[in-house]
Amino acid sequence: MANRNLYRTNQRLGARPGLLIVLLIVLGTGGAVWGQTQSAGAGDSLAAWGKIVTVLQHPRCLNCHQLNSPLQEDGRRIHIPHVVRGADSHGVGPMRCGNCHNDRNNLTSRTPGAPEWSLAPVSMLWQGLSSGDLCRVLIDPVRNGKRSPEALVEHMSSPLVLWGWNPGPGLEPVPIPHAEFINLMKVWVAGGTACPK
Amino acid sequence: MITLNVNGESHQLDVSPEMPLLWAIRDKLNLTGTKFGCGHAMCGACVVHLDGEAARSCSIMVGEAAGKKITTIEGISGPVAEAVTHAWQSLDVVQCGYCQSGQIMSAIVLLNENKNPTDEDINLGMEGNICRCGTYLRIRRAIHQAAKALA
Repeated sequence: MANRNLYRTNQRLGARPGLLIVLLIVLGTGGAVWGQTQSAGAGDSLAAWGKIVTVLQHPRCLNCHQLNSPLQEDGRRIHIPHVVRGADSHGVGPMRCGNCHNDRNNLTSRTPGAPEWSLAPVSMLWQGLSSGDLCRVLIDPVRNGKRSPEALVEHMSSPLVLWGWNPGPGLEPVPIPHAEFINLMKVWVAGGTACPK
Repeated sequence: MITLNVNGESHQLDVSPEMPLLWAIRDKLNLTGTKFGCGHAMCGACVVHLDGEAARSCSIMVGEAAGKKITTIEGISGPVAEAVTHAWQSLDVVQCGYCQSGQIMSAIVLLNENKNPTDEDINLGMEGNICRCGTYLRIRRAIHQAAKALA
């Protein structure tokens, strides 16, 4: 079946052999990632975490994994105007997150936005943590919102998290493409969610 | 067409859903009590109420306000709004006045949620409403006075 599909593809691309080569390379890369995910060991897991943490400690994630007030922009300064967590992590009184932030980026006011814009829960305070400590917080169901490792992978495609790849003008996106990041998450989980000491 | 409910009236507007709500309020509906300050949700001059919550109308987009009850300074009513505006007048809070509709809209939300705010509650709640004339002490006194009147 695979050969027949490949044949049909080849027929369609017959006049464009370059495209077929690109397609085969892409398929081959995907297969390699899938194979790596299936057979990942602790070493692979730890190596994947080394890349994952560069995303989690990026300002797009870390700026809102704060104790009481978010930070802003790539320089990680205190949020202007000053806002505080409040009982539901969405602010207080006339200073709630949704008072300014829409469900998507506002290109006119340059206010970033995504659904459920808010501070991360206090249990997910990541500020100041080493790579190993952040890893242990992330896999602890008491502190990660009762998420299994597989649920953590899913969480990385939720609308608010996805904003990190599309932060709007003037803000740097997280450093690894989303598809690659999810593959790293899968390798990390398959190898046992290894954490550095 | 987008339908906006402003001060109890329904309006059909032929505007982009990405237009800032403030532009629709001021330029399409001619409700000019709400002011343009910074345009970046940082000064509070443009605060209106969306379903009773404070909203910076320079930043909230029309598409997100559709289907919600929008109240501008022209449409405020009820005991809290009356207590706030009365306190504002009796203490002569206003100097130039440019920021004051935003200040009053935020103060109403603050008192709706907190009947007896401390100085710190007021500072945190009103933090995002900038007054270039520096009337902060009078604003704080007026909020305390309105709270007392409502008790």
